[in-house]
Amino acid sequence: MSVEAMPPEATPAPTRGGSLRGAGPRRNSDFLRAAGFVDASAAEPGAMRPGALRGSARGRDLDSLAHTLFLRIYPVIAVVVLVTQIGIAWVNYRDQLHLYTQRAELMAALTAKAIARPAWSASPEIYRRQVEALTLDPAFRSATLRDAAGAVVLSLGDARRGRSFERITAQADLSSGQDGPALGRLTLSISAEDLRGNAEKQAVMAVVTSLILMLAFVLTLHANVRRHVLAPLKRLLLAMREVEHKRWVPVELDRAFRASNEIDVISQAFNRMVDGLRSGDEAKQLLQQLEQAHQKLEDANRLVMESIGYARRIQSSVLPDRAALDGSGLEVAVLWEPLHLVGGDYFWLESIDGLGILVVADCTGHGVPGAFLTLIVATALDRLLHERGLRDPAAILDALDGMVRAQLRQDGRGSESDDGLDCGICVWDPSRSEIRFAGAGTALTTIDGAAVTRIRGAKRGLGYPQRPGERFSVDETTLRITPGMTLYLMTDGITDQMGAARPGRRLLGHRGVTDILASHQRAPLAEQVARLDAALGAYREGEPRRDDMTLVAFRPKSGDMPRAA
Amino acid sequence: MGPPTMDRIQLAATDRSPQVDFDFASGHLSLRGESYPEDAAAFFGPLLQSLRAHLAETSATPIVFEVGLAYFNSSSAKALMNLFMPLEDAAGAGRPVTVRWRFAEGDETIAEAGEDFAADFAHARFEMVEEA
Repeated sequence: MSVEAMPPEATPAPTRGGSLRGAGPRRNSDFLRAAGFVDASAAEPGAMRPGALRGSARGRDLDSLAHTLFLRIYPVIAVVVLVTQIGIAWVNYRDQLHLYTQRAELMAALTAKAIARPAWSASPEIYRRQVEALTLDPAFRSATLRDAAGAVVLSLGDARRGRSFERITAQADLSSGQDGPALGRLTLSISAEDLRGNAEKQAVMAVVTSLILMLAFVLTLHANVRRHVLAPLKRLLLAMREVEHKRWVPVELDRAFRASNEIDVISQAFNRMVDGLRSGDEAKQLLQQLEQAHQKLEDANRLVMESIGYARRIQSSVLPDRAALDGSGLEVAVLWEPLHLVGGDYFWLESIDGLGILVVADCTGHGVPGAFLTLIVATALDRLLHERGLRDPAAILDALDGMVRAQLRQDGRGSESDDGLDCGICVWDPSRSEIRFAGAGTALTTIDGAAVTRIRGAKRGLGYPQRPGERFSVDETTLRITPGMTLYLMTDGITDQMGAARPGRRLLGHRGVTDILASHQRAPLAEQVARLDAALGAYREGEPRRDDMTLVAFRPKSGDMPRAA
Repeated sequence: MGPPTMDRIQLAATDRSPQVDFDFASGHLSLRGESYPEDAAAFFGPLLQSLRAHLAETSATPIVFEVGLAYFNSSSAKALMNLFMPLEDAAGAGRPVTVRWRFAEGDETIAEAGEDFAADFAHARFEMVEEA
């Protein structure tokens, strides 16, 4: 019987033998291999890798699920069927045996009744015919007739033939009707061989039935497990593999979703998980792209900052030595702070022919564009001072205006540049204690004790395209310098400080700046300028600066004042 | 040919550019906030073009230009000048033009800038308005 042929115990679970495998249906790994997955790691069951799913999928024999179900369920069913069939056969056999016994007893009783009469044994014609009639029964085996003394009167058949358990024996006394002594005894044996045959047939049928049942069971189980369990599970496994390789394929349901079907529920949960993983993965990729973009920006920014840092070194090297006027009897302090490392503010200090030249310029724009303009201004100023030998501030401004406009091609048609600069120039003549000032857009501020004056030059700056007929003109102011007087050339970045949270949110303005400067008149100029810088920062309160700032402060060195003529 | 006339230009303020409301239909123009855009020409160019187109198309409607800037850089000052010039020309041609220069109380910088601008106007009315 097949149950004995493959008992579950014969193949211990951990190391499944090949016997079952080979006989069974297609193996789990076959379909994976057919799907293009080959696993090298499966040979080492202990080795868990990131792709552990592969190993687990491999180690788990999906087809063995059908085997397991078969091996667990079938023996029970087979035993139940067998026991039931045998039980039915046994009951049948017993009933038949009972009927046979009754039949034998009835036949014996009828015959005995027919024979019974006084002195029956003396006349054989009375009983012989009767007893012989018993042989007509196909089951008849033997009959023995004895008289009252127990001697055999007649014996038919062979009482010894056949096995005793296949023989049913009945006895009937020959009685005279009253309660008198028995006149004799008839012993009848009939064969029960048919019964045994029937029982055997039934047993064979039971076995055959279980065999057929097994076959039908195996086929049905496999077909159903394959269709309803293995196929969806394999789809799920394949989908898991895809997901392992970051291909976000959902698992397909072969029918409409049924909430009562566990595999459908699992598949749906899996799909939700895939969705979650996909969005997570997408978010990760986006983050990665963002990080890359951020990195690029950072690189670009560093490049730009390095470049601008280099530009600042160049612009700083174009600026003069702050001590350039030390020999001319002037105390000078400078605050030069571009908004973005480099800027459009420029200053120049030079001692030439016994004169001190102080220039502050505020070119349009700040940052790199502003810095370009300062280089044009620096070059032009150098030529005006050294090649053309100009010492007159108004003349210098006038010439600078022309040179800048020529350099930026603002004097011709189709000019694209709308740039220019504010500029203030002071020429210090120590021998006369005089300062000659000319400004275009830049004022000269003087503080003498409590008196603050601002000498505004021309309203218009230098450069810029001119309107037809427009002519640059600037006045010159000559100042007599007295001890205690301090002079300042500053760009509007100094006064245009936006206060953060003050009501009205207004600019510090010229008065605000001169108030600060006036309160530190006794301090050395360098300290005065440093205090101004700190005070400006305090006024802004975190509000960003709006512009480049430059301030050149100067005054005659104390005790160095030549006698006024 | 200039650009097609717009009835109204409205721009929200940014931290570097002012709020703009040029309502040509009613003749009421206004700038408010701060003005120091990186490229002032790019910001003010379209405003100037629209203003010129409007002035070229109409001749009678009075114009009131309100300027209330807490800070403007030199490029913006130049751009303001460029806006004021056609207005002054229009005023010279007979159109009623008022420039209302608004500045915070005690803000000398803006007040002085307004005075400087006022000096350039001969025909248009230039009002200085100190705001508390």
